[in-house]
Amino acid sequence: MTNKTGVSRLLEIAGEKRGLMLVSGLLSSLSAVCMLVPYVSVFFILKELLEHAASPVLTDGAKMIRWGVIALIGLVSGLVMMYAGGMVSHIAAFRILYGLRIKLSSHIGKLPLGWLNSNSTGAVKKTLEHNVEKVEMFIAHHLPDLVHAAVTTILTIVVMFTLNVWLAIACIVPIVLGFAFQIALISGPKTKENLKQCHDSLERMNASAVQYVRGMPVVKVFGQTVQSFRQFYHDMIRYRDNGVKLSDQFQNGSLIFNVILGSIAAFVLPVGVFFLSRDPGSIAFATILLFFLVMAPSISTPMFKIMFLAETLRDIKEGVQRIDRILAQEYIPEPEHSRRPTSFDVSFAHVSFSYGTDPTDTNVLTDISFTARQGEVTALVGPSGAGKSTVANLVPRFWNVNTGAIRIGDVDIRKMATSDLMNTVAFVFQESFLFSDTVYNNIAVGLPEATSEEVYAAAKAAQCHSFIEKLPLGYDTLIGEGGVYLSGGEEQRISVARAILKNAPILVLDEATAFADPENEYEMQLALKVLMKNKTVIVIAHRLSTIRDAQQILVMESGRIVEQGRHESLISANGLYSRMWRSYRHAAQWHMGKQEVNAEHEHATQHYGG
Amino acid sequence: MNMLRNITADNPHSLIKPVFYTIISNLVGLIPFVLLVEAAKLIFNPFVHPDTPLDTARLWWVCGGLAVSLVLLFVSEIPAYRSQYRDAYSAAADGRSRLAEHLRKLSLGYLNKRDPGDLANMMVGDFAVIEHSISHLVPQMIGAAIMPVLALIGLSFLDWRLALSLFAALPVAILLVLLTSGIQRKLGSQHIRAKIDASNRLQEYLNGIQVIKAYNLTGERFVRLEQSFRELMRQSIRFEGILGPIVLSAIVCVRAGLTLMVMVGVHLLLDESLDIITFVAFLIIGTRIFDPLTTALAGYAEFRYSEQAGERIVQLLREPVMQGERHPPEGYDVELKQVTFGYLDQPVLRDVNVSMPAGSFTALVGPSGSGKSTILRLIARFYDPEKGMVTMSGEDIRAMNPESLLQKVSMVFQDVYLIQDTIAGNIRFGRSDATREEIEEAARLACCHDFIMKLPNGFDTMVGEGGSTLSGGEKQRISIARAILKNAPIILLDEATASLDPENEVEIQKAIDRLVRGRTVIVVAHRLKTVQHADQIVVLDRGRVVEQGRHKELLSLNGLYALLWRRQHDEGK
Repeated sequence: MTNKTGVSRLLEIAGEKRGLMLVSGLLSSLSAVCMLVPYVSVFFILKELLEHAASPVLTDGAKMIRWGVIALIGLVSGLVMMYAGGMVSHIAAFRILYGLRIKLSSHIGKLPLGWLNSNSTGAVKKTLEHNVEKVEMFIAHHLPDLVHAAVTTILTIVVMFTLNVWLAIACIVPIVLGFAFQIALISGPKTKENLKQCHDSLERMNASAVQYVRGMPVVKVFGQTVQSFRQFYHDMIRYRDNGVKLSDQFQNGSLIFNVILGSIAAFVLPVGVFFLSRDPGSIAFATILLFFLVMAPSISTPMFKIMFLAETLRDIKEGVQRIDRILAQEYIPEPEHSRRPTSFDVSFAHVSFSYGTDPTDTNVLTDISFTARQGEVTALVGPSGAGKSTVANLVPRFWNVNTGAIRIGDVDIRKMATSDLMNTVAFVFQESFLFSDTVYNNIAVGLPEATSEEVYAAAKAAQCHSFIEKLPLGYDTLIGEGGVYLSGGEEQRISVARAILKNAPILVLDEATAFADPENEYEMQLALKVLMKNKTVIVIAHRLSTIRDAQQILVMESGRIVEQGRHESLISANGLYSRMWRSYRHAAQWHMGKQEVNAEHEHATQHYGG
Repeated sequence: MNMLRNITADNPHSLIKPVFYTIISNLVGLIPFVLLVEAAKLIFNPFVHPDTPLDTARLWWVCGGLAVSLVLLFVSEIPAYRSQYRDAYSAAADGRSRLAEHLRKLSLGYLNKRDPGDLANMMVGDFAVIEHSISHLVPQMIGAAIMPVLALIGLSFLDWRLALSLFAALPVAILLVLLTSGIQRKLGSQHIRAKIDASNRLQEYLNGIQVIKAYNLTGERFVRLEQSFRELMRQSIRFEGILGPIVLSAIVCVRAGLTLMVMVGVHLLLDESLDIITFVAFLIIGTRIFDPLTTALAGYAEFRYSEQAGERIVQLLREPVMQGERHPPEGYDVELKQVTFGYLDQPVLRDVNVSMPAGSFTALVGPSGSGKSTILRLIARFYDPEKGMVTMSGEDIRAMNPESLLQKVSMVFQDVYLIQDTIAGNIRFGRSDATREEIEEAARLACCHDFIMKLPNGFDTMVGEGGSTLSGGEKQRISIARAILKNAPIILLDEATASLDPENEVEIQKAIDRLVRGRTVIVVAHRLKTVQHADQIVVLDRGRVVEQGRHKELLSLNGLYALLWRRQHDEGK
C-alpha cells in the first residue's frame, strides 16, 4: 500500500493505463494548437486588409478566403482531435473505473464479515459508486482539459511575447491580478471554516434525509410527521444558510475574477493606444495590436477551467481517501499450500475469540472445546448473546480465532484455502438471502455445474418443488423486483435446496426454522432431515423441541460451554438447560385471549428468571 | 416546456429570475465588445483614409469607456451571481421541503415499496443537480439561445448580408441536435439502466456477502456483479462515443459561420459593395460571437442528464397523496365491506366481508399468501381498497385524515425501526408529551425495563443507526412499549413477532398480553394454538373468506381450519 494522497495517488491508480493517458494528452495538446488556428487566421485576414486598407480592391481575395478555409480546417481538426483524445481518455477512465470496482468488490469479499457489519453498506456503496466516479471525471474530463488549457496558455503567451513585450505584459497583469484576488479570498482563514461548516451541514442534511425517509412509516404511525419534518427542515435550512453565507463571501472575489479575466482587452487597449499614438503610421504595430485584441479572449477561457480545478482537487482527495480506506483493510491471508481434510469431524480446541482487535476487548468466546462428529448432530443452545452464532461463524472462517484452533479432520482450517474450506462447509443462515435472479439459478448457486435434474431433485428434497411449479414461470420465475416475492418459509426452503445441492460434508444450520412461517414448518423439518443425513451437523437451536434427538447438546452461557450431553441427561442435571426447557414448554402453551387472565403464565416466567 | 418543467422539478417559475439576470448581464457584456469593435475601427481608419490622422482622443475615450464598462459589468453581474448561487440554495431548499412535505402525505404502502436510500438520494442528490441546472445550466443555455438572435438583429443594421452568412449554418446545428434527440434519449436511458443495474447488483453483493462467501462467489467470481460493471463500462463508452460526434458536429456547424462570413465578405469587398471597416468589425465579432453557443452545446449532455433527475422528482410529486380530512369517530367497530384489493395486477383480496366489533378479538388465519396481512394494512390505510370499503363506526375511513386515523391504531409487526435517538426517545414516540415516569412504566409493562437497565446508559443509551445493537426481540419489546404508551383503542398485531427471539419468547408474550387487554384486537396468526380463544377466527384462502367462527365451531366444520389445526398439532408430536 502506498501512502500517496490526492492527485498523485490518483495518477498512480490511473498509471495502469499510462499509454492511453499519454495518447490522450498528446491529442489534447494537438487539439489545443489547432483550436488557435481560427484566431490566427482572422489575424492574417486583418493584416491583409490593413495593408491594403486604402484601396480594398487590391486585397488578395483568394488569400483571405484561403485563411477563412484554414480557420475551418483548424477548427474541424481541433475538434476531431479533441474528440479522439476525449474518447481515449474516457476509455482509459471507464476501464480504470471497472478495474477499481472489481478490485474493491473482490477485496471486500476477502475481508472478515465483521467489517461490513461495522461499516454501513450505504457508505461502502457510495464509495464504489460516487467516489469512484469522481476518478472518472478527473481522468476523462479534467486531465485532458487541463492539458488543453496549459498548452493554449503557454502557446499564446509565447506568441504574445515574441510579438510585443509590453502588450504581452498588459495581458498577463490582469490574469495575475485576478488569480491573486481569488487565491487571497480562498485561502483566507474564514473561508476554511465556512467551507467546513458547509460540508458538515451538507452531511448532516444527508443523514437526516435518510433518517426522515427511513423512519417515515414509524413516524406516520405515531402521527409525528410534522415533528420529524421539522428536524429535516431545520438541517436543510441550515445547509441553505451556510451555502448562502459561503456564496456571499465569495461574491465579490469571484465577480472581480470573472470581470477582469473576461475583459483582458480593456487592459491591452490603453497600452496599445499609448504606443500607437507615439507612432501613428506603423502598420506593423497596428496589426499586432489588433492581433492582441483578437487573441485576448482565447487566453481567458482556459483560465476559467483552471479555476474550477481547485474544487475538483478537493473532491478527488476525498474520493481517493475513501477508496484507499477500503483497500487498506487487511484481509485474512491465504495459506501457500492448501491442505484438504480426509475426514470431517469438526473440533474446537481451547478457542477464544473477540470481535475487536484490541486485546482489552471482552471475549465473546472463552476456552471453547468440543468435537462435532461426522454423522452426528451437535446442537448449540443458550440464551441470546451466549455466543452460539459466533461459534457457527468461526467454522467457515468468517473470522479468525484469537487463541486456540479449529480443525476439520486433522487439518487446521487456517491451513486450508478459502475456496477449499467453503466447498467443505454448507451453511443455512438465519436470514435466507436470495438473489434477484430466477428460482433455478438461486438453487444452482449451490453447485454451478449441476445438471437440471440435480437441481430439481434438490428442490424436491427441500420441499419446494410443488410451490415452485405453481409460480407464474415455474423455475424461471424471477425473484424480487419485477418478479415474485416469496414468503419467509419459502425463501428458507430455497436456501435449504441450495445447501442440499452443494452436498458438502459439513453442515452448519443457524436457526433455520425460527423465521419460517409455522404454516410451513412441517415441510421445513422434512427438508432438513434430508439435508442432515450422514453429515457433520452443527445446529444453533432456539426451539428446543427440534434438537431433542441430537447426539450432543452444548449449552452455552456468556461465551462458555456450561453443560454438555444428550437431552435426557441434561434434563436430569437440572441446570440451565432444564430451566430453558421448562420455559420453552410454557411459551409453547401461550394463547392470547381476554377471557382468561394468565396467572399461570406469569408464574412460569418468574420461575425461568429464578 | 415539458423539458423545463422536468428540469426545474415542476417549478418552471424559479427560472424567471436567473434567466432574466443572466440576459441582463449578457447584454451588459456586449458593451465592452462594441467598444472594442469601435477601437478597431478607429485604429483602421487612418489606413483606410490616409488623409485623416489617428483619432487618439477618441481612442482614449474608448479606453475610458472600457474602464467604466468593467464597473458596469461588475454591477450587473451581482444580481446574476446572487440569483445563481444565493437563490439556487433557496430554490433547492424550497423544493426539498416541498418533496419532504409530499412524502409524508404518501401512503405507507407506497413508502414501503420504495427503497428509502433512493428516496433520500432524490431529496439531496437529485436536488443538487436541479439546483445547478436552475442556477447555471438553464440560464446559460437560454442566454446562449437568445444572444445569437439579438446579435443577428444588431449586426443586421451594420450589414445584413454578413450577419446572415455568420448565422447561416446555425439552423443546421439546431436541426442536427433535434433530429438526434431520439438517439440521445435512447442512449441516455440505456446508460441509466446500466447504472441502476450495477447499483442493484452491488447492493445485492453487499447484502448477501455471507452467502456469497459461503458459496465461493466473491469478487470477479460473482459473475452477475462483474457483468453489470462491464455493461456499465460498455454503455458509458458508447454514450460518450456516440453523443460526442453529435455535439461536435453541431459546434462545427455553428462555428463554420466565420468561414462563410469571410467568403461572403471578401467577395463583397472586391465588388466594392462592402466597407472595409465593417468587414473588420465583423471579423472581430466573428471570433467571439459563438462562444456562448459553444458553451451551451457542450453543456447539452449535462442538460439532458439533469432533466432525467428532475423527471424522477416530478414523477414522485405526481404520486397521489392520501385524501381525507375528517377526524375518526369515537366508536371503534371496524368493518370490511365487500373489499377487493390487489398489488399491481395480482388480486390479493376478493369480496371480503368481516365485521370486528369494538373490544372484540379477531384472528386472521390461513395459508401463507392468503391475504391475512393485507387486511391489517387496509385497516391502517397503507392502501385504499379498489372496491368496497373499510369502515370505522360505519364511516368510510377514506374520508378520514390518515394520520388521525393512525392515532387510533397501534401496530406491532415484525419489522421494527428504531430512530437514531435514546431508548427513552424511541419509546416517547408513542406519545410525545409523556413524562419520564410514564415512559419507564411503559417499558416495565413491555418487559424491557430489565434489559434497558443493563445497557451502558440505561434509558439514555443511543440506539438506531450507529447506536447500540439490540436483538430482534428487544427491539420488538421497545415497539410494544411505544404502543402501550400510545394507548390506542385498536391493536393490529402479527403473532409471528412473538417468536422473533425464541430465548425471550415468554417476555414478549407477556408484553403482548398486557398491550391487548381491553381493546379491539386484530391478529394475524400463524400458530393456531395462540388464538384458539379468539371471539372470532376468520379463515382466509387465496384472498377469500372461506370459514368464520369460534375455534370449536370451525373444528366441527371439518374444513380448511380443521386441516391446518390437525397438521400443526401433529407436528408437535
